[in-house]
Amino acid sequence: METIKSEYLDEKLVAVKNLDFLQYRSKDLPTWCPGCGYFGIVDALYRACRELELKHEDIVTVSGIGCSGRTPIFINSYGFHTLHGRSIPVATGLKLAREDLTVFAVAGDGDALGIGGGHLPHVARKNINITFLLFDNSIYGLTKGQSSSTTPYEMKTNSHPMGNPDTPLNPVKLALAYGASFVARGYAGNPQGLKDIIKKAIQHKGFSFIHILTPCVTFDKENMTWKNLKENVYDLNLRKEKKNMETAMRLAENEPYGTGIFFQDKKRLHYQEILKKMNS
Amino acid sequence: MKDINMVIEICGSAGEGTISAGEILSRFMSSQGFEIMSFDSYPAEIRGFGKCVAHTRISSDLIYSSGKLADVLIALNDNHAISQLPSLKENGMLIYDSQPPKPHKEDKSVVGWAKPGMISYGIPLNMLAHKAAGNSRGMNMVALGALAALFHVNKQGFTDSIKTRYSKKKQIVIDSNVNSFLEGYNWTKENIKKTDSYSFEGIKLPQKKEKLIITGNQLVAQAALDANLAFYAGYPITPATKIMEILSKELPKHGGTLLQTEDEIAAIGAVIGAGYGGKRAMTATSGPGFALMTEFTGLSVMAEVPAVIINSQRAGPSTGMPTKTEQSDFNSAIFGGTGDCPRIVLAPTDTKSCYEAIVLALYLAEKYQTLVVVLLDFFLSNSIKNIEIPQKPSPEYLKANIAPNIDDLKDYQRYKLTENGISPRAIPGTPGGIFFSTGLEHNEYGRPDYSQSCHLKMTQKRFKKFNCVLSEAPKPEISVTGKSEFDIGVISWGSSAGAAHEAVMSAQKQGINASSFSSMMISPFPEKALIEFSNKCEKILIPELNFSGQFAKFATSILKRPVEKLNFITGRPMASEDILQKIRDM
Repeated sequence: METIKSEYLDEKLVAVKNLDFLQYRSKDLPTWCPGCGYFGIVDALYRACRELELKHEDIVTVSGIGCSGRTPIFINSYGFHTLHGRSIPVATGLKLAREDLTVFAVAGDGDALGIGGGHLPHVARKNINITFLLFDNSIYGLTKGQSSSTTPYEMKTNSHPMGNPDTPLNPVKLALAYGASFVARGYAGNPQGLKDIIKKAIQHKGFSFIHILTPCVTFDKENMTWKNLKENVYDLNLRKEKKNMETAMRLAENEPYGTGIFFQDKKRLHYQEILKKMNS
Repeated sequence: MKDINMVIEICGSAGEGTISAGEILSRFMSSQGFEIMSFDSYPAEIRGFGKCVAHTRISSDLIYSSGKLADVLIALNDNHAISQLPSLKENGMLIYDSQPPKPHKEDKSVVGWAKPGMISYGIPLNMLAHKAAGNSRGMNMVALGALAALFHVNKQGFTDSIKTRYSKKKQIVIDSNVNSFLEGYNWTKENIKKTDSYSFEGIKLPQKKEKLIITGNQLVAQAALDANLAFYAGYPITPATKIMEILSKELPKHGGTLLQTEDEIAAIGAVIGAGYGGKRAMTATSGPGFALMTEFTGLSVMAEVPAVIINSQRAGPSTGMPTKTEQSDFNSAIFGGTGDCPRIVLAPTDTKSCYEAIVLALYLAEKYQTLVVVLLDFFLSNSIKNIEIPQKPSPEYLKANIAPNIDDLKDYQRYKLTENGISPRAIPGTPGGIFFSTGLEHNEYGRPDYSQSCHLKMTQKRFKKFNCVLSEAPKPEISVTGKSEFDIGVISWGSSAGAAHEAVMSAQKQGINASSFSSMMISPFPEKALIEFSNKCEKILIPELNFSGQFAKFATSILKRPVEKLNFITGRPMASEDILQKIRDM
């Protein structure tokens, strides 16, 4: 039944809009809640792949556990749904063994900053040539509404009904501090803008970190809602600034809703280039 | 012709050259055609005043264990040597410093503790070292010189071994060491009247073959390189670190990549990533690291991605005793993790079989698309043995992935149910082979599926794959005797197997009708062969280096009969003498 529905949907959409980027979408129907921000993220991902004309068989998406973990199923390419918090190490091993592949690692806020938080500094400092997408909805969605590492202080959640006692992490600031050579923020509600960032991240030689603001329509009714995001998210219009770490840090601290590429170091060698240089 | 079969121990403080002296002794004896096995013990601290013992067994016959008691104890440090004296045989030989720089306090001189039956030779080790090189650093070489003079061994050969050991050092270092050796040699020849019966004079050994003097860890690294390892990820941990250090240097020369990760979780994750990418990958760790890897071992089995983990066991649980050997990760290797999770486990029984185990592990992991655990231990990793140069793996062991054919790719099912359970595996980059892998239960396309029928058929598939593994594995080793029934059968595994084999041979010489059984293949276990062997034996003895008898319990569940257990957690390798004693008591 699902297959028929999916094909029907495909035909309709293609017929209406001639959206050939949908060739990067798999036949599986997403299991995400209607209205979930993740639809916008994968939409941007399909468009980026289409515009860069990547071959389906040369793309691998590695994910962890959580709502974001299902992402690879919905991409028409190779995909590996691994363990909670571990998309980074698996993607690292894959990329080092297979330089020819385009490797995406995706993770939620729980995945990337909670259980798997220990991997982020190392993939950044090693400058592994992969694209990392952090789907940040500031809540544990798949387990139904507990506090995550980016849940605002005092927000009421199912694990903290009296309010979250923890101070949230600032993902962009962390990525900058860890030495990521490409740090950006995108917004699930602006697939075109996010697509441009993802394209640049894929083209970047080194570790690229994209923090994506996205709502959880089911379990977050007060913080990262469509309404709040629509009102607050804006393009920082960064051009020259992205070469300056100091500016990037200041923006990361002061502009939690600003999108764009905060920092990019194009000169730094990525891990495989370093190894080649050292072993030659 | 006389046979040589003796253990020499050199005991000193960390930093006194104790271990180097032992290494030179082994190297020299091997060059003379003897079989050697040596195993050093040293403090966990890098340097300081801890006790070091270089333990070397030398024999004109094949050696299967390191030997328990010493025939000769060379005391470079009286204080430490006193505590080592209980390991010297009652009629053993003691070489000590007769003119220490400061006179010993009462009861602090090792010779004062020597038992009446022991033969003691006082050599002015410190004084002669000063005479030869102006400082006391060469004491270890003076002692080797004295040993060479007492045993009538080839002096030239010995100095050659010293030169080889220090060949990368400055000339002055080489000269000081050789001079110290000669000083000890000449002084002993002139001044010591020999009263013992040890002599290497007139010993003729069969034609010498070229041999490698190597540790288990070194051989593991060599085997991995020979078996086309493409990727290694690891995190430092005693006693497995050396494998990473060697590969770090050698793997790039073979076109491979080495990654030092932030923890063991990342190490096995990266190995699984590389395995998913179609490359041969492995990691090496010890118990605590293996515990961290456990969740990923389940993913390797569930998503059917090849991965090889070497676990060089040390005493546990928790941090345990990092520099002490034990065989107590048997249970965690074969049962660890969640769910019904079949995996392949290999446990090489001696240094030589480490090579075979690694070649086989990389091959089996790739062919059966699963997890392979190789169990070593501190003793196998670090003991030095001289072995014949291993034969390189034949081509069929180097490429084992079963790839999908054109028909398979028309409607590709990554987890297709097949007769033997192995599904053709596409490697990323293959057009038409696009698939999704997950640690969730999944259908033949890899799509999540929690239905009863799916979980059952996929679990059956994952177990079924292992039905063919045993036919590709080395057969169990059973000691050859003329008899078809035995009073005592000794069943052993891992590094204890050598001692068990040796104990059984000694027992046979003493007229006891015994036989031994060991298998490198631990999971799946050759149960049929084990039962056949057991049926021939009146009594069964299972010696192993853990407290609770982990393997004995496992074997009992197959044999369904009571067995005698012999367990040690001394941190020392299994001694054939202890097994022999137990056989005689049974």
